[in-house]
Amino acid sequence: MGAVCRSRSTMVLTGKRSEKGPACWKRRVKSEYMRLRQLKRFRRADEVKSMFNTNRQKIMDRTDVLNQEWKTRRIQNILSAYQTLYVSPLRPQCTVDSGFSEFPKQVIPLKTLNAVASVPVMYSWSPLQQNFMVEDETVLHNIPYMGDEILDQDGTFIEELIKNYDGKVHGDRGERRPEALVTSSYTRACRRAGCCSRNHSSSNDSSKKFPSDKIFEAISAMFPDKGSTEELKEKYKELTEPQLPGALPPECTPNIDGPNARSVQREQSLHSFHTLFCRRCFKYDCFLHPFHATPNTYKRKNMESLVDNKPCGSDCYMHLVQAEEVKSPSKRPAAARRRGRPSSRPGSPSVSSETKDTDSDGEEGTSRSPTPVTLKLTCEPEPVDWSGAEASLFRVLIGTYYDNYCAIARLIGTKTCRQVYEFRVKESSIIARAPTEDEDEDTPPRKKRKKHRLWATHCRKIQLKKDGSSNHVYNYQPCDHPRQPCDSSCPCVTAQNFCEKFCQCSSECQNRFPGCRCKAQCNTKQCPCYLAVRECDPDLCLTCGAAEHWDSKNVSCKNCSIQRGAKKHLLLAPSDVAGWGIFIKEPVHKNEFISEYCGEIISQDEADRRGKVYDKYMCSFLFNLNNDFVVDATRKGNKIRFANHSVNPNCYAKVMMVNGDHRIGIFAKRAIQTGEELFFDYRYSQADALKYVGIERELEMA
Amino acid sequence: MSGGSCKANGAVYPASSAGMNSVKKPKMEQIQADHELFLQAFEKPTQIYRYLRTRNLIAPIFLHRTLTFMSHRNIRTNAKRKTFQVDDLLQRVQLYHHNLTISACFLTEKPSQNSENEQTSVSLEVLLVKVCHKKRKDVSCPVKQVPTGKKQVPLNPDSNQTKLAPYPSLLVSSSEFEPSNSHMVKSYSLLFRVSLAGRREIMFISSHWADVTETPSRKKRSSSHREEDGSTETYVAQMTVFDKNRRLQLLDGEYEVSMQGMEDSPVSKKRATWETILDGKRLPPFETFSQGPTLQFTLRWTGDAGAKSTAPVAKPLSTRNSDGSSPMETPVKDSLSMDIQTRRELVQCEPRQKLRIFYQFLYNNNTRQQTEARDDLHCPWCTLNCRRLYSLLKHLKLSHSRFIFNYVPHPKGARIDVSINECYDGSYVGNPQDIHSQPGFAFSRNGPVKRTAVTHILVCRPKRTKPSLSEFLESEDGELEQQRTYVSGHNRLYFHSDSCMPLRPQEMEEDSEDERDPEWLREKTATQLEEFTDVNEGEKEVMKLWNLHVMQKGFIADNQMNQASMVFVETCGPFIARRNLCRNFLLHLVSMHDFNLVSLATIDRAMARLKRTVDPAER
Repeated sequence: MGAVCRSRSTMVLTGKRSEKGPACWKRRVKSEYMRLRQLKRFRRADEVKSMFNTNRQKIMDRTDVLNQEWKTRRIQNILSAYQTLYVSPLRPQCTVDSGFSEFPKQVIPLKTLNAVASVPVMYSWSPLQQNFMVEDETVLHNIPYMGDEILDQDGTFIEELIKNYDGKVHGDRGERRPEALVTSSYTRACRRAGCCSRNHSSSNDSSKKFPSDKIFEAISAMFPDKGSTEELKEKYKELTEPQLPGALPPECTPNIDGPNARSVQREQSLHSFHTLFCRRCFKYDCFLHPFHATPNTYKRKNMESLVDNKPCGSDCYMHLVQAEEVKSPSKRPAAARRRGRPSSRPGSPSVSSETKDTDSDGEEGTSRSPTPVTLKLTCEPEPVDWSGAEASLFRVLIGTYYDNYCAIARLIGTKTCRQVYEFRVKESSIIARAPTEDEDEDTPPRKKRKKHRLWATHCRKIQLKKDGSSNHVYNYQPCDHPRQPCDSSCPCVTAQNFCEKFCQCSSECQNRFPGCRCKAQCNTKQCPCYLAVRECDPDLCLTCGAAEHWDSKNVSCKNCSIQRGAKKHLLLAPSDVAGWGIFIKEPVHKNEFISEYCGEIISQDEADRRGKVYDKYMCSFLFNLNNDFVVDATRKGNKIRFANHSVNPNCYAKVMMVNGDHRIGIFAKRAIQTGEELFFDYRYSQADALKYVGIERELEMA
Repeated sequence: MSGGSCKANGAVYPASSAGMNSVKKPKMEQIQADHELFLQAFEKPTQIYRYLRTRNLIAPIFLHRTLTFMSHRNIRTNAKRKTFQVDDLLQRVQLYHHNLTISACFLTEKPSQNSENEQTSVSLEVLLVKVCHKKRKDVSCPVKQVPTGKKQVPLNPDSNQTKLAPYPSLLVSSSEFEPSNSHMVKSYSLLFRVSLAGRREIMFISSHWADVTETPSRKKRSSSHREEDGSTETYVAQMTVFDKNRRLQLLDGEYEVSMQGMEDSPVSKKRATWETILDGKRLPPFETFSQGPTLQFTLRWTGDAGAKSTAPVAKPLSTRNSDGSSPMETPVKDSLSMDIQTRRELVQCEPRQKLRIFYQFLYNNNTRQQTEARDDLHCPWCTLNCRRLYSLLKHLKLSHSRFIFNYVPHPKGARIDVSINECYDGSYVGNPQDIHSQPGFAFSRNGPVKRTAVTHILVCRPKRTKPSLSEFLESEDGELEQQRTYVSGHNRLYFHSDSCMPLRPQEMEEDSEDERDPEWLREKTATQLEEFTDVNEGEKEVMKLWNLHVMQKGFIADNQMNQASMVFVETCGPFIARRNLCRNFLLHLVSMHDFNLVSLATIDRAMARLKRTVDPAER
């Protein structure tokens, strides 16, 4: 809309353009820039307005729901109750005397409503049942308000706080604009360019496709930090080219179920799934592990496959192949499989080191393919069209099913196995050429989110450089050093962590934790897991019961409570000690698991910054997790966050390694009765490392 | 007695103790100040308990007789229950078909001495008063008076003759009690109207009353009586036969009803109190009978037996002033069965032993006052007659926890040390579910209120320790322990962790943390995936679905993944098919296989399952 208006106005100016020269352009760029900024401001205001309105509507809806609920509830009328109660000489009365004779004196019994005790202050928080990793905050989101007294007394505190964030405060207009221009307004600049170009193109037919250099020169002169004229031109090209509706960025694979599905390689089809899947949480783009290993270098533990070496039907491709085989009977299927195996399988991501076949299905039954591919066709291929989606899908499946064309055909659904076979023959040259091994070595590009993660990575690097004393516990990160054993160079070894099932090293790795073979409850030091302050791994400890009864809470292994979330029911009430407290609903035995202390996982640096504010508030939910991270239950957490500190507590905290993650379990220090308030000693962990929950607070809390 | 009434009146009036007199004069001031403090300390709780006592009289929230340690206040037995049969109900109903026979004589105070026996009889008229149900148009309840008959009854018959000669009797027909009229009858009562003819007799009676009561108002009234000379004097009394609930109130028996002059309207129900107030002055219950004119009559339901099956009316909360007396009627001989009577006698014989209770009020560990109660087991604060020392102590301990009571055995009875409970904090120590089941209304004072369902464990015949006075003895060691109002269990009001709203009892079982995937987290994972610019919409859809699935089920092990995938296809299969995401789903499975999390068999099975949801015709 704006652009259209603009073009009309420039039409008028056309004649004078040449006379004014670059100065004119500069001015025009400036005015255009101002206009765009204003437009953006308006749009932003509209956005805010509409957001406010939708929010308002949500509140109204919710209020309606609540009102309806209250109507259905039977609440006793206070009036009627008091009328009967106060038919007595005790009744205090209220009298209203107007002072005019025509109005009678009004007398009504005095009703005293019961005083409602106020509840302690609570700042809002979001419920969470598992830790949630957040990035470091580069800007101060808000200037904390701590009452006028504190601000008056200690004005320097806020200043220091802002200094911690390099003076960056969220929503600071004057500060943000130049910064925004630097970081993220290429787009805007180029839209500006586009607008200008449209102005220009309307006047000059010859350069309809591309704006003249003058515009870019003018822009470049106006905003020298945006780069040279050439750079701007490039950027403009990039932004204006994909103008098709519904077009995706070039690096994005089109939807395989959509109409625009293209025929792409296997890696491309699976790229999103591979890179976003968290092998530790089983989720895509999980909340806990910012860096996910891709599966390409994972070894196949077992080469299982379901091959029916019987033809799938009368039209099965096997009839063709078997016809071939008759001519060369020496090639037995099973033998062929064995021989065929070391040769690089087409599209296979697996590596050759696969030697043991743990699949119990037996050798003969698991025959992968009846024959090595005979690239001969006994009859003419049926002329069929392969759509992009089908072709992509074929390439994906061939890397999983190899030569089991019947299965592939079944999964593709729209093609027969014969067609698949024929397509395979046609594709063979391409597939054979694909050097999968080499490609697997370089990690595919990470999925890009709009936000940057630079800060986090930066901090991480610094943290890794930190050298700590030997009793420090470091965060576990799956190791990935292909073709190298887990020796002193392995990050797991240097961090003094065991290798986990998520590591890329072999399952025979010396640094792997073997799990336990307990038949008891795994709650004594007899259990190697318990001894190592680890919960039993359901994929390693197969005898203790940690891998059974997924749905029930009655697991024989007592050392898997955190991962199973077998928490106790907790109830919130004003504490007997300070503020809110948490109370247990049912009695628990000594050493029984009560709850996991959940919250945001933040870096130690971030905890330093946040802790400064929390210390001022005299209220901190920080809990040291390991040398790298801290759990902060201020914004997100679970009910155990309300447990108060005590020097004589009834609970204790224990940081445990739970399937590769450090997690904080709260356990009963002694038998706890129904309705008891829970306390634990905040100073847990090595050498009172928890410096953020100030020890001096103990006096005040206790 | 004196101590008790002192306390009940809200202030403790010191009785000077002998020890204090000997103290020197300069110290007297300090002692005076100390004493003032002592009074102040005891005044507040005493006032509070006085208020509560009055409130409890007006609108009781529970019956004392239901308390285990007050069970002797319950005069009703369950003996009848053993022999109870359903047919008894019929008998009770059949009572309506019985005739009521009344034979009466009229008594005034020793008339034979003075009178010349001019009159030996008065005319007694018995009316049946029917109070009907209010109809819509009616302003008040319609009342019907049905005259049942008029008889001359003897006036002040000779006591010797009384038993011999049968008095003339009146008969109220059973048909009168039948609910046949257009108006539904709420209650029936008998109105006795005695007409005395002759001036002199009236004069006598009136002046006699004036002598007794000695109140100016009474004199005035008696003089007004005189003015009405020539006419007959009328006395009335009213008794309920059937009350609102169709319960029979008048059983067979001999009754003596005190009569009142016509001006004194018979005590109507609305004004009825448990106290007998005559001319603004309280009269001890039985005095009215010895002073006023009374009507003595025998009442009999003729017809079949069975009137006895009606349970006796429960005694109201008895306090000092209303002990054992019903308003104006006293069955001379109760028709209650013998066992009840004997039981009651047993109860009452205990305080008959001259028991002395010394209340010793302590302040700053010094005795400040000693008050003696002789043969009086009323609670000094709320005048509740506890009847037994054990019950009294238990009541004091439980109902007046602002004080500390310690029992000390005494040769003449008991000594109770009373001191202020410093630990009393007003905190609620009862069942917490009672407080917040009705916010602001633990107990309704206005009829039934729907309450939240709470399961209590009721113990049938629980094993209770034998009541023993030793439990009130001051404990040697754990004195502090005893005073602590510590109740284990959920003795507090809980709140919702998200909204800080009080947790209602029916919400106790729900744990807000049972939900592994709170709504905001579900939304967060969706928006987070949506933010990716280089992931296409089909992939995003499948990823979101899968994430929600995993978050809901909370999978933790690799070896759960095969099962998880199958459950996923079961639950989300139709959605995947509808949104045309089958190939993306296949890619997801293949990717999971690449991670070594699912087997090929799972891929095959899951895809076959999906195909079936897409096209059910395919097998």
